[in-house]
Amino acid sequence: MSRPVSRSGDNSLPPPPGAAEIAALVEPGRVHRRAYTDRAIFDLEMERIFGRAWIFVAHASQIPGPNDLIRTRLGLRDVLATRDADGRVHVVENRCTHRGTTLCSVERANAASLVCPYHAWTFALDGVLRSVPHRKSMPASFDIADPRLALFRAPRVADYRGFIFASLAEDGPSLEDFLGDMTDALDNFIDRAPDGEVFQEGGLFRLEYRGNWKLHHENANDTMHPGFVHESSVNAAREDSRDYAEPVFDEHQAHVQMLSNGFSVREWQSLGLQGLANGHSYMDGFYTRGILSPDRDDPISRSYRDALEAARGREAAAGILAMDRFNNLVWPNLNINAQYQQIRIVQPVAPDRTVVQAMCFRLGGAPEGMFHRAVRFLTNLSSPASMIFADDAEIFEKVQAGLADGSREWLDQSRGIDEAVGNGRVASAGASELPIRGQFRAWLDHMAARELRPGPL
Amino acid sequence: MNGAVATRPIDRAAVEEFLFREARLLDDGRFEDWLALFDEDGLYWIPGLPGQTDRFGAASIVHEDRTVLRMRVRRLGHPRAWSLMPLPRTAHMLGGVTVSPAENGAVEAVAALQVALYRAGGRTRYDGRQTMLLRPGFGPGGGDFRIALKRIDLIDCDGVQGVMPVPI
Repeated sequence: MSRPVSRSGDNSLPPPPGAAEIAALVEPGRVHRRAYTDRAIFDLEMERIFGRAWIFVAHASQIPGPNDLIRTRLGLRDVLATRDADGRVHVVENRCTHRGTTLCSVERANAASLVCPYHAWTFALDGVLRSVPHRKSMPASFDIADPRLALFRAPRVADYRGFIFASLAEDGPSLEDFLGDMTDALDNFIDRAPDGEVFQEGGLFRLEYRGNWKLHHENANDTMHPGFVHESSVNAAREDSRDYAEPVFDEHQAHVQMLSNGFSVREWQSLGLQGLANGHSYMDGFYTRGILSPDRDDPISRSYRDALEAARGREAAAGILAMDRFNNLVWPNLNINAQYQQIRIVQPVAPDRTVVQAMCFRLGGAPEGMFHRAVRFLTNLSSPASMIFADDAEIFEKVQAGLADGSREWLDQSRGIDEAVGNGRVASAGASELPIRGQFRAWLDHMAARELRPGPL
Repeated sequence: MNGAVATRPIDRAAVEEFLFREARLLDDGRFEDWLALFDEDGLYWIPGLPGQTDRFGAASIVHEDRTVLRMRVRRLGHPRAWSLMPLPRTAHMLGGVTVSPAENGAVEAVAALQVALYRAGGRTRYDGRQTMLLRPGFGPGGGDFRIALKRIDLIDCDGVQGVMPVPI
């Protein structure tokens, strides 16, 4: 039986879920499947999370000069991060205000203005409409300065030492307040460069999986999964005994990265895991072997350490290099791995479809060999053919498939719930699902727009 | 005109036969036999950028020598490699093969490549150009050629990609 169509001819979609309905989806130790599968929930996430929170859009080195621009996303919006002739950064929608045409079809460009390919409406890099053809045929009411004719522009764009975020909310917490203690991770990322600057280079990957966007961050600081999910690559490395002193083309990086997921449960348990306000979290590093270990002592690492010491002094350099962390998750869409110069950006596509952008950085002033290691790291961990990521993506798809038919209503997230206390920064043993609970606390804050009762993560 | 080394005429049929057999090993899931076709310093390379020339300064989809490839092949046989359950099936199509002499008696064989891949949950197709650098082998046991380089330039190498679960 079809739904009656309203007389005004507008759509007959049901009203969006209310705050109480949304809040009922998240309990301290479990979350309802609808958070992963429901289109109405997903649409609200795009409006209330990706349409309000600080979303990482680009790194300054991707648009270094005047008139540089890069195509990126704000939720489902196709946007351009631009740097105008005065050096100011804007985030504008990549859609002509005339007929809706996509303005820029390449990933990066340098252009003084955005010219629509359809009728040559021309916009400045801050989104203002500059000219239209055959002006005299436009009605008298046509005012080129009408803000409605300008490209939609993110009202707030802010940059933390070159990491550019945008928010579609007119007001709200500042970027620094939102990041809170996660600025430590960004500082460490940048401070590792002897010149104090990092550059996104070496290409990037766009990985698609058929699963919800939240699954990626939930997995990133889940230290209980690697021994199970990555057993096949752990095993392949274990059976391949190596002498790390032997020179091989990748300096044994693939071996180290695969082998390291083979920690025992006890070893994972001993790793530190921190949950911060606003859904952020981070975990300790766990690469203890070869050229990826914090105490590595090979010629490239030594020359890098010398360069950092020359720039910062011995003590400061030692402090920078001592920060041994793996994934630093800025909720909702950025994963920073400072120690190995990697980031991942999570881009929702649909409730059951996500694209992850993975990329690496050059440390300004570091030896070329350090950059080559970051490139190699990216290939090993984040390429479509990665022997590690392949199994993560497979698991995301299995979770999504398992939730699709509705027979399984709740997902458990209670591991370690009795260990941690308090709000804000809470430490836990490595085996806890604390980061997932923290992500859902932030999710509720945005989605149900209410003050939540403080409680343990 | 130094002419010191007399170049052997290229046996085009033998080159093509080798390319087809290499592809067949992958389609048949005989990965250990496939690995054995690579020379000691042989490389398997799928660039991440169109026309990529620098193997170290830009990330690759695959960039592996035998020390990494043998781990990849070992993983393919593991009973709990989740992205390989069930083992994906592939069908290779090679066409428009051209052969030309390369340095030190090697042969460069370039072909258009299409690989259809079926795995639980769907089908994928990989399209691109395969460039093989082949060195003379040692007869039937070692095959007619040894692979110095198997390079695949995918037409969408820098586009959105799903997981590539098996070598193509």
